[in-house]
Amino acid sequence: MSFFTAQDICAGYGGKNIVSHCSFSIEEGCLTGLLGANGSGKTTLIKAICGSLPHKGTCTLEGQMLERLSPKALGRRIGYVPQKSGLELDISALDTVMMGFHADLGLLEGPAPGMKKRAAEILDLVGLEGRQEDNYRTLSRGQQQLCLLARAMAADRRMLILDEPESALDFPLRRRMLALVKRWLGEPGRCALVSLHDPALALNHCHRLLLIREGSLLGVLKPGEDDLQTIEAGLSQIYGPVSLQEVSNGRGEKQLVMLWEGQE
Amino acid sequence: MGKTNKLWIAAGGLFLAALAAVSLFVGKYPLTLGALLSGDPYQWKIFLTLRLGRTVMGVAGGFALGAAGFVYQTVFRNPLASPDVIGVASGASAGAAAGILFCSSAAAVTMSAFAGALLAVMSALALARLDSTGRSGAVVLSGIAVHALAQTALMTLKLTADPERELAAIEYWIMGSLSGISIYDLPAHLILCALCLGILFALHRQVILLANEEGEARALGVNVGALRLMVLLTATLLVAAVVSLTGLISFVGLMAPHCARMITKSNRRETMVFSGLIGGCLLCAGDIFARSAGQAELPVSIFTSLLGAPFLIYLIVKGGRDG
Repeated sequence: MSFFTAQDICAGYGGKNIVSHCSFSIEEGCLTGLLGANGSGKTTLIKAICGSLPHKGTCTLEGQMLERLSPKALGRRIGYVPQKSGLELDISALDTVMMGFHADLGLLEGPAPGMKKRAAEILDLVGLEGRQEDNYRTLSRGQQQLCLLARAMAADRRMLILDEPESALDFPLRRRMLALVKRWLGEPGRCALVSLHDPALALNHCHRLLLIREGSLLGVLKPGEDDLQTIEAGLSQIYGPVSLQEVSNGRGEKQLVMLWEGQE
Repeated sequence: MGKTNKLWIAAGGLFLAALAAVSLFVGKYPLTLGALLSGDPYQWKIFLTLRLGRTVMGVAGGFALGAAGFVYQTVFRNPLASPDVIGVASGASAGAAAGILFCSSAAAVTMSAFAGALLAVMSALALARLDSTGRSGAVVLSGIAVHALAQTALMTLKLTADPERELAAIEYWIMGSLSGISIYDLPAHLILCALCLGILFALHRQVILLANEEGEARALGVNVGALRLMVLLTATLLVAAVVSLTGLISFVGLMAPHCARMITKSNRRETMVFSGLIGGCLLCAGDIFARSAGQAELPVSIFTSLLGAPFLIYLIVKGGRDG
């Protein structure tokens, strides 16, 4: 049985389905990317899995059906990084990260000293050293994204779900964020799902790629296992005529680059 | 708690204590500390029946309105949300007017005011849900609609009131005043306030979690619907416990949290305490002004509105400047 399974997910807004009958699975330790054009249903699918959007179908994590869990029990299993947080409050970066421990605390219980220490460590890890007391609202969009990643990773969760985390990040920070997620996946009993806009980032970092178009999953790509023609054919279904080139950087590390082959 | 915040809270507490001390000795009937200490029965009667009650209510009521305003603004994720703006206070007014017309006891008026406040906040929340985008501004718009409905109900009740007795009581209630509050009226209201404040301070961490978008809060493990209901019910009960005795007090719940946040630059528990202290200072100062500004006593909301209206303009200008 797979570590995480989504079965026949249908979700949308105002009675209209945006995603229809999406089924897929993620294995333990796997970083799975979700690729699709704007409006293809990536965020809707992610919100349905996180339990923040009513949906049909079922999601199972380690054999437990997520739809049957209380919000707190769900929060103890999943860490979520939204595309853009709605948090518009004068609150320190450290306090923002500490929110991630909520599901582990009783109604009137405050975070333990160990949690505060862990939150400070994880802020350092994501590259926000010395920014603990900085106001979250005054951080740049990219720094806010890193802060939200720290919030999701601070507590010990089974699955990380990230919704276009790279949208506010510059080139080095995009790579850094995915490297942090891969490092987080190093512990046993974890998996991650990340929706991405940047195909090159997805191709070079994700173990599996789910392709979504008009709310339907078109297939799964396995970068590193599938041949270039298969991957090109898959990506062309989303982006139109594209080709892939394998190039090497100065250290000889091979990376895939996607090129546009159509007419402007 | 940061050292700076501790200092601000200490300063706010001292200033509020000073205002409370002044409030005890300001008014139509002169009162002196010496006469009180000498045991003058006339002075003691004035102290107990006219001054102590309104001073305690000024401190406790203002504190409650300031702390409740902090909660409303955080939970609604809107800096303009306050007991006044989202219609809770006008719901309480309509409720109190119904209580004055159809019941006679003070306890019934309090209960009726509470029921009106509760109905208002529930209606505002239900109306806001009609906006499928979940914009926080929808709550304010809903509050304006609820406020208008409550005002309509209030006008209808006033039309049916006996002009000499009931209408006067309703008008007196609406104008908002601490006069006539005796120390003997307070215990039940103060216990209710203390209980609600205790709950809200204990739930501060949860209140802050509600400042996230609904889906985001849920993904953090928050039972958003149940928690929001519990927090808003408690804050509404707190406001109702105050305004059922004082009548409408405008802008305290709006200004105090803003001032506290501007000074402490945070939203921690101590900011909520500081917001309460500022609320207490505003209401105490307003009551002193109401007693000493003219020949006759003025409604306390005149003073709070005089400060509140320019403050709203300041928020608009600041919002424009901050982008």
